[in-house]
Amino acid sequence: MMYVVVIGCGKTGSAIADLLSKNGEDVVVVDKLNSSFNLLSPEYTGFTVNGDATELEILLEAKIDKADLMIITTEIDSVNAMVSQIAKKLYDVPKVIVKINEPLKSVIYRNTGIITLSPTDLFIDKLRDKLSKEEGKALDEERTI
Amino acid sequence: MRYINILKERYQLIIKYIGILTMAASAFLLLPLLSLPFYPEEIKYSYSFLIPSIFLFIIGYIFWKYTKHNREEVSLSLKEGGIIVLISWLIAVISSALPFMLIGMLNFTQAIFESMSGWTTTGLSVVDVTTAPKLILLWRSIMQFFGGAGLVVVMMSSVLHPYGFGLYKAEGRSDQLLPHVKRSTKAIMYIYTGYTVAGILLYVLTGMSLFDAFNHSLAALSTGGFSTQVDSIGHYNSLSIEVVTWILMLLGTTNFATHFALLKGKFKIFFKNGEIRLLLILNSIFIPILIFFSVNKLYSSLPAITRRSIFETITAISTTGFSLDTFNTWNAFGTFSIIILMLIGGGTGSTAGGIKLYRIYLIFKSIIWEIKGYFLPADVVKKNYIWRGETKLDIKSNFVMEAANYVVLYIFTYFLGVLIFLSQGYSISDSMFEFASALGTVGLSIGITAVDAPPIILWTETLGMFLGRLEFFVIFFAIIKIFKDINYIYSSK
Repeated sequence: MMYVVVIGCGKTGSAIADLLSKNGEDVVVVDKLNSSFNLLSPEYTGFTVNGDATELEILLEAKIDKADLMIITTEIDSVNAMVSQIAKKLYDVPKVIVKINEPLKSVIYRNTGIITLSPTDLFIDKLRDKLSKEEGKALDEERTI
Repeated sequence: MRYINILKERYQLIIKYIGILTMAASAFLLLPLLSLPFYPEEIKYSYSFLIPSIFLFIIGYIFWKYTKHNREEVSLSLKEGGIIVLISWLIAVISSALPFMLIGMLNFTQAIFESMSGWTTTGLSVVDVTTAPKLILLWRSIMQFFGGAGLVVVMMSSVLHPYGFGLYKAEGRSDQLLPHVKRSTKAIMYIYTGYTVAGILLYVLTGMSLFDAFNHSLAALSTGGFSTQVDSIGHYNSLSIEVVTWILMLLGTTNFATHFALLKGKFKIFFKNGEIRLLLILNSIFIPILIFFSVNKLYSSLPAITRRSIFETITAISTTGFSLDTFNTWNAFGTFSIIILMLIGGGTGSTAGGIKLYRIYLIFKSIIWEIKGYFLPADVVKKNYIWRGETKLDIKSNFVMEAANYVVLYIFTYFLGVLIFLSQGYSISDSMFEFASALGTVGLSIGITAVDAPPIILWTETLGMFLGRLEFFVIFFAIIKIFKDINYIYSSK
């Protein structure tokens, strides 16, 4: 069992929170808008904290100091950068994963020990795989002919 | 057509859950038999537990096994949870009544009454405890223990998978201790069982026999109030036993989330909690005024007056229902004070009943906020909050509305019940006392509830206890949903 704090309850954040809660982890999800929590499915049984994640009081209410894993998924890169560094530097959260909206900004996280994931890069990687596979297939077909 | 298929699938899931909970009830029925090594002479009664248990297990197993296996990741909504809770509670209550009938002690009405009183942790009783076998006495306490925590909480902490979150909410125990429902329910069961064991030890230390200690500890923490003695705690006439009972009753009436904060050593947050504050305030108001205006006419010495007043105040507000002596001799002031306390009741998310301290506190606070707001500038932005569990809870206006609706519904139901009592020729104060006791799942009696009470009175009380325990709305939602769905299926054929 892990204690996970998810920052941002948008499409990504809510899906991650659902998944982890279903797997039996302790999950707390933080979002500025109370209505964002409607995105969570009924089987989400963790806590929700309504507030701005850039305020330390809110992060402490989500018990950031006890987190084993923190997943930061807001739409604003500067918020993500700030919160992830608070988590890593000030509270020594063992594992911090950040969603990067603007791929160029991944520079910020170099040598910080923060794990970064960019939906854009992932999309491109997948696309490249698909294309190369299809090319491969096409080549194979040519050969058999 | 598509919708009908979806409905079919949902109801199969519902029946599956009911099956699981029914099998759990059949296992509970076997628990009193564990005491047979100590009371071997009572083996002749064991059939009255075995038969219903086997019968229930078969029904539950059929429900569970022969409904089509659904995809695993289906979760329940609050309404569907409500249907499951309603039906499995009814099954549990009816099956728990069977031992009383099979032994031949009670008829159908009385047995259902007794079992409802047990499961809803009321404590009104029509069983003659002097002649009842020990197995039956144990069974009454065990019903209260499980009824206090709730069928769903018990099952969710052990076997049920956590997709049934709607179930947890439906049983009226919505506060969560930990950020996962499974660990929350486990924590509740640990706290509850821990206190119960401590209670048994304390009772034994203060001079009760082990059998009485076991039964009274279960009944006190579940705020149930079934006793193994005719005159309840008054039988012992011992101050130390009374003090232990005070503590256990107060623990039972405290929200488990608040206990969690207390056990983690957060005393500041504990005393900031609205329910705890209101509990303390009400106790410190009602104990002295009961001493001055009512109890001092009954006893001659100050210690006796104080003891009686403290005990009856706590037993009423915690909705336990143990008592020291009869209420027949109390004057109108005392009787009505106890009625008020019984209607207010204990904490939300505890084992108590009544309107609940949280709702009263919230409405009271919102009145203060309204008065204060009147004197503030027009464009002021204010954040109203109260402390609940370990965190601040921001109060939105619909919270107050929900609480106020509940209170009004509660009072209307209360008046309706009192009217039914009056129609049977009881006096107004007796009727008000007895129905407040049933609706608030308290269990204090002014003498109406007895074996020879008319069936209509027993059924009114039975229904009152059921509504009071499951907090009205869940029952309404569930019944309306069932009717709507049936109507839909018929109209589309």
